[in-house]
Amino acid sequence: MNRSLHRRTFCQWSLEGLGSIALLDLLRRDGLLGQEGALEGGLHHPPRVKRAIQICLVGGMSHVDSYDYKPELSKRQGKSLDTMVKPDIFFGKVGLLRGSDWEFRQRGESGLWISEMFPEIARRADMLTVIRSMVSDSANHTPALFVSNSGFQANGFPSLGSWLSFGLGSETESLPAYVVLPDGRGGPNGGASNWSSGFLPGEHQAVVLRGGDQPVRDLFPSTPISELAERESLSLLQHLNERHLAKNGQDQQLLARIQSYELAGRMQLSVPEVSDYSSEPESVREKYGLHDPVTEDMGRRCLLGRRLLQRGVRFVQLYSGGPIAGSPRASWDAHESVKDNHTLEAGKIDRPVAALLDDLQQRGMLKDTLVLFTTEFGRTPFAQSDADKVGPGRDHNRYGFSCWMAGGGLRPGIAFGETDEVGWKAVTDPVSWNDFHATIMHLFGVDHRKLTFYHNGIQRRLTNVAGDVVTGVLA
Amino acid sequence: MYRIIGKCWLLLSCAGLFFLADLLQAEDPAGSFFDSEVAPLLAARCAECHHEEEPEGKLNLLSQAPARKGGENGPALVPGNLRQSLLWQRVVADEMPPEDPLDKREKQILKKWIEDGARWGTDPVDRFRYTTDKRAGYDWWALQPFQPQKIPSPRRHRRVRNPIDAFLLSRLEEEGLSFSEDADPRTLVRRAYLDFHGLPPTPEDVEQFVADPSEEAYQQLLTDLLDSPRYGERWGRHWLDVVRFGESDGFERNNPRKNFWPYRDWVIEALNADMPYSEFVRMQVAGDVIKPDTAEGYAAVGFLVAAVHNTVVGGSEMMKRQSRADEIEELVGAIGQTFVGLTVNCARCHAHKFDPISQDEYYQLSAAVAGLNHGTREIQQPEQRQHAEQLEARRKEVATRLTAIRTRVREQILEKRKGTDPPAVDLPAPLASWEFEEDFQDSIGTLHGTPRGGAHLENGALVLDGKDDYVITAPITREITEKTLTALVQLDNLDQRGGGVISLETTGGGIFDAIVFGEREARHWMAGSNVFARTESFQGTEEKEVTGRPVHIAIVYRKDGTITGYRDGMLYGRSYKTGFQAFPADGASLLFGLRHSPAGNNKLLAGRVLQAQLFDRALDAEAVAAVSGDPQNYIPEKEIVAFLKGEQQAGYLELTQRQQELDEQISKASQAAKLVIYTNVPRSPAETFFLNRGDVMNRGELVGPGTIRAIAGLSGDLGLAMDAGDAERRLALADWLTSDQNALATRVIVNRLWHYHFGSGIVDTPSDFGFNGSRPTHPELLDWLSQQLRESEYRLKTLHRLVASSTAYRQSSRFRARSAEMDADNRLLWRKSPYRAEGEVIRDSILAVSGQLNDMAGGPGFEDVKIEPNNGTTYYKPFDMDDPSLNRRTIYRFSPRGERMALLDVFDCPDPSAAAPRRSPTTTPLQALSLLNNAFVLRMADHLAAKVKEEMGEAQVSKQVDRVFQLTLGRLAEKEEQEKAVALVEQHGLAILARTLFNTNEFLVIP
Repeated sequence: MNRSLHRRTFCQWSLEGLGSIALLDLLRRDGLLGQEGALEGGLHHPPRVKRAIQICLVGGMSHVDSYDYKPELSKRQGKSLDTMVKPDIFFGKVGLLRGSDWEFRQRGESGLWISEMFPEIARRADMLTVIRSMVSDSANHTPALFVSNSGFQANGFPSLGSWLSFGLGSETESLPAYVVLPDGRGGPNGGASNWSSGFLPGEHQAVVLRGGDQPVRDLFPSTPISELAERESLSLLQHLNERHLAKNGQDQQLLARIQSYELAGRMQLSVPEVSDYSSEPESVREKYGLHDPVTEDMGRRCLLGRRLLQRGVRFVQLYSGGPIAGSPRASWDAHESVKDNHTLEAGKIDRPVAALLDDLQQRGMLKDTLVLFTTEFGRTPFAQSDADKVGPGRDHNRYGFSCWMAGGGLRPGIAFGETDEVGWKAVTDPVSWNDFHATIMHLFGVDHRKLTFYHNGIQRRLTNVAGDVVTGVLA
Repeated sequence: MYRIIGKCWLLLSCAGLFFLADLLQAEDPAGSFFDSEVAPLLAARCAECHHEEEPEGKLNLLSQAPARKGGENGPALVPGNLRQSLLWQRVVADEMPPEDPLDKREKQILKKWIEDGARWGTDPVDRFRYTTDKRAGYDWWALQPFQPQKIPSPRRHRRVRNPIDAFLLSRLEEEGLSFSEDADPRTLVRRAYLDFHGLPPTPEDVEQFVADPSEEAYQQLLTDLLDSPRYGERWGRHWLDVVRFGESDGFERNNPRKNFWPYRDWVIEALNADMPYSEFVRMQVAGDVIKPDTAEGYAAVGFLVAAVHNTVVGGSEMMKRQSRADEIEELVGAIGQTFVGLTVNCARCHAHKFDPISQDEYYQLSAAVAGLNHGTREIQQPEQRQHAEQLEARRKEVATRLTAIRTRVREQILEKRKGTDPPAVDLPAPLASWEFEEDFQDSIGTLHGTPRGGAHLENGALVLDGKDDYVITAPITREITEKTLTALVQLDNLDQRGGGVISLETTGGGIFDAIVFGEREARHWMAGSNVFARTESFQGTEEKEVTGRPVHIAIVYRKDGTITGYRDGMLYGRSYKTGFQAFPADGASLLFGLRHSPAGNNKLLAGRVLQAQLFDRALDAEAVAAVSGDPQNYIPEKEIVAFLKGEQQAGYLELTQRQQELDEQISKASQAAKLVIYTNVPRSPAETFFLNRGDVMNRGELVGPGTIRAIAGLSGDLGLAMDAGDAERRLALADWLTSDQNALATRVIVNRLWHYHFGSGIVDTPSDFGFNGSRPTHPELLDWLSQQLRESEYRLKTLHRLVASSTAYRQSSRFRARSAEMDADNRLLWRKSPYRAEGEVIRDSILAVSGQLNDMAGGPGFEDVKIEPNNGTTYYKPFDMDDPSLNRRTIYRFSPRGERMALLDVFDCPDPSAAAPRRSPTTTPLQALSLLNNAFVLRMADHLAAKVKEEMGEAQVSKQVDRVFQLTLGRLAEKEEQEKAVALVEQHGLAILARTLFNTNEFLVIP
């Protein structure tokens, strides 16, 4: 079957249909039952950004080796962590302090300290707003990843992207509002629960964009249907639905269902279009690292991410890292050796992420786009080894770690908050995930306390009963 | 619409506040002015912050003495002196209450009261006593007993089929609206089937009713629908939504719950049997107490453990308490919301913000369920057991004969070997080995052991006392998949039950594989595992020697799930196939002398371990014999076979074949003999403490078991002692929930039924009847129906029939613009609301009309996801396959928390992680794409086409078209439809027509 022809057919059919009058309006009204609390009266304040892309590092990136410069830690290499309380950590093996395995340097005009782990991103230091005082509620991968996505450790709560979709909708009719591109090595721990819409209406769940003939599941018939058959079948469908409508009155719900077939037709055109980056110039592909097998997977996804944002998708989430465990590891979970693991993982994403920043800036998109670079927790300043050793690996650390943002409404080239002198715990301006989420919402023009959804007796919100906007990072 | 709902609400809540003028004039010796005017004001406008628990500014305004005393800023109240009363000064300056100052009338009350001497009445003020505009009090509508209801007389009395219609129609008429005309019989029969069964009627069902749509025929139709087992499958699904039923743990591990389906079956069967709702509730809270040691009882209390369950709790005291407190909160929430529509869980950290529930009551209810414990129970099925025993006896015969032959042949072979060199054997290399000669170290790698308790070495052996001695090693440094555990062990006594010799466990002991002695069968070895997940009987011989001499035990774990035991290098009984478990690098250690962490109970071994080894592969029989220390005397099976000749050999092979067959049969029979049920396995309730601000590390006083006291006519005191046992507690709670006085519980279930029949409840927040929930559109009807249910002894089928017999249910769903202008959401039921079928109904309907529905009821669910354990977490990957065993009704789908097939996903089936008392139906292009393109849908379209062709023979295309219309839509094609359809079919085949009809609104929307 000639797919492009087929798509054209579908579109043609649907345009012949009831027309595109107030299409989204109909759909929204159909879902009205579930939408109380959505932003019917507009945003709470002028937004600084319209869209966001998140690079989500799965497994726990070591902050003391990347974005949190700790000269004292290197000095105290081989000493024990000087604390009264035994660190409350996942595997319970507290080795001696281990200095960073990477060299740190001051970068750009801002003089931000960033290590050689990310040489390319480091060159864009002046674009970054680093938060060095992140803290999390959990040091277990899955609950910690859930918290970073939804604010809650348990399954079943809507993710940030779903809340944004719910609150702001999509800027495009033909692409979903929230798109996820998992690591080529597999989904993260917790799988689809990470981008679940929880109790929000199902339309706010992320759509996973994959490679191949079916970039979105069920986009095209699983077994070929000829173009003619498709056209005639849809024409009959339209006839039947119209007869049904005539008998049953102009019910909004029935109208909306009919219109949804038109939108489906548009998705059949727009999804393959956005997924097919062959039209991108060679130079762009080169910059994203598509020619290098090491960076190809992330490069492709960063490029797709930009294409999606360009076309009005609200929130794109890219994962760096698949299933947590396994050997060799397919994530940032560097228990064995931070040097080996992070060199490999950073090597996969450094160039593509840097290219994404450049690309967004060159296109003038960065000013109203948010780039988020997050990890569910950091790693310990002490090695994960026997108490008298400096092993090469580090354990999970929820008490202090680094994430960064870039884009509209932020103070670029700064580092916000501090961990203690060895990077064990956040001591100045700790930022919880609730705070982080509140800040993102704020940048989108949304008061996180006001975007709520009634579920089982509670007006639920992304930030539960906490969260303060981190004003220190705002421009 | 808000206007309409608002009116009845005002009448309910605001009576009794209109005598202010009179009261302002009067003297008030007895404090009655205080009680009637001031107390409600203080409760409504001040108590949110200035309450007794932890008042803002340390000012408590709910009690006389502290109010007089004042707070941080000094005395708040000086009788007769407004100027010195800080309370008045802040109020008159509009500083208090912040953001929402008192209005003129309220200020007047306060002023008069202080001027007149601030006389106090009832002390302390109960802030829950009155409903205000901020919160519900004890006078909240839902908490009141039933009032006798007068059945109204609407003008259009001919439309009244039963009192339901009288209530609804008189309300409609108030707004100048009326019912729609009756739906035509064809629509009505389709509606009834989809509503009661979740499946469309067959063409025959439709035609039968259309031919005779009399009242008798309709009543007969309802009888048939309610009597069919399909009813429980449909309405059971609704209940499972409410109780957050899911078949995996969630959180970090998300382990599958393969034995949780008995709860789902119990629900379906209870509904089909029309179990009184009161009993239905009692069983789910205390079924194991009411019917002890029965499958029914264990299955029913599955309700208590249906939620997600965190199995990686963390090591510190804080983490443990937090996790437990979260788990209890979840259950308190589930009980409150499911049975009485109250979010009791919101009172964990402070008094409920909206409903009259104190924090004390929260902890009392917590104490009532403090025995909660996730686990499994086993039920023996006597008939199956007997069958297994017969098979075992036969196997024993065969085994005896085989052993006799083997012993004879072995002797002969060994005799022959005498004088020659023993055959060279390559000893397989272990990954780790512990000799216990001088230390606890691993002599090969780095998995060194550390002794715990009094574990020590003596004459080259690890000595264990069976009380608290064991050894734990460093974490494994690479993932272990296939493996062999071996140990040379001697025991102190043969009667110990459950000690572990060598165990590989994940950190903390949540998952383990171990060599265990005597746990399930006295004096037998077994492959121990977490909740017996990989444990079956080896059917090995009874152990007699191991106290007299060391015995070599090995257990081999293959990736395909096969587990084989060896004793002294010889096969121990039979091997069996079960699940497979990998152990993560850095996340697992070995134990000696302990079955799994934490140490205690029967998990410790009394004896000596002389040597232990871990292999990171599955050794074969020969290799096990080699490492068992007696390679010279080991004779491989094939050598025995080769030694035998002719008929002897044939006979021997036949016997081994027979033994294998029996092994398989025994395996099946013994699995069937024991029904394993995931359920509540209560522990002795720990002391429950009041937690200040809900902080697990900030304990207040001890709290005894009880429940909430807000429901009028019911005490919150369950009459339980502080140290009452778990069974007593849950039984008392079950009695309270199902008391005839518990009007609220009855209202809640009546409303749920209404909600599913009409698409929206009389209260459209079905699990929240509190202040935050919706107000009833028809409170009198709700109460009348509730009383009907109580009088019918809580038989839900009686209520179903009553509802379905009404005109309201039978009216047309046709849209009417004029009525919609008045009541867009159709809350007053001027028509029957059409609604898009749920994902399950769509899938089941497609299966049914295609002739592919596999109607196998009950038992383990079908799995349309590939379960992929991956180092301590579990992935569920949906797959599609043309396999009749997957074509069962969706309620029988194994439903883990994770990914699932597109069709269910896009059609808003709720994530089983949280309760979904009301689904949020959406209309999206992804739904269109799935219905047009999904492999399952296209396959079913092919099946439907094939079925019709087979039924109709070489009939005309128009006949085939008609049949497809009848099957899917319950009607024939109209003329123009038929012309178009015939053209389509002639060109592109019948399947494409089936696919088209699956996508029509008529197919997808329940009329």
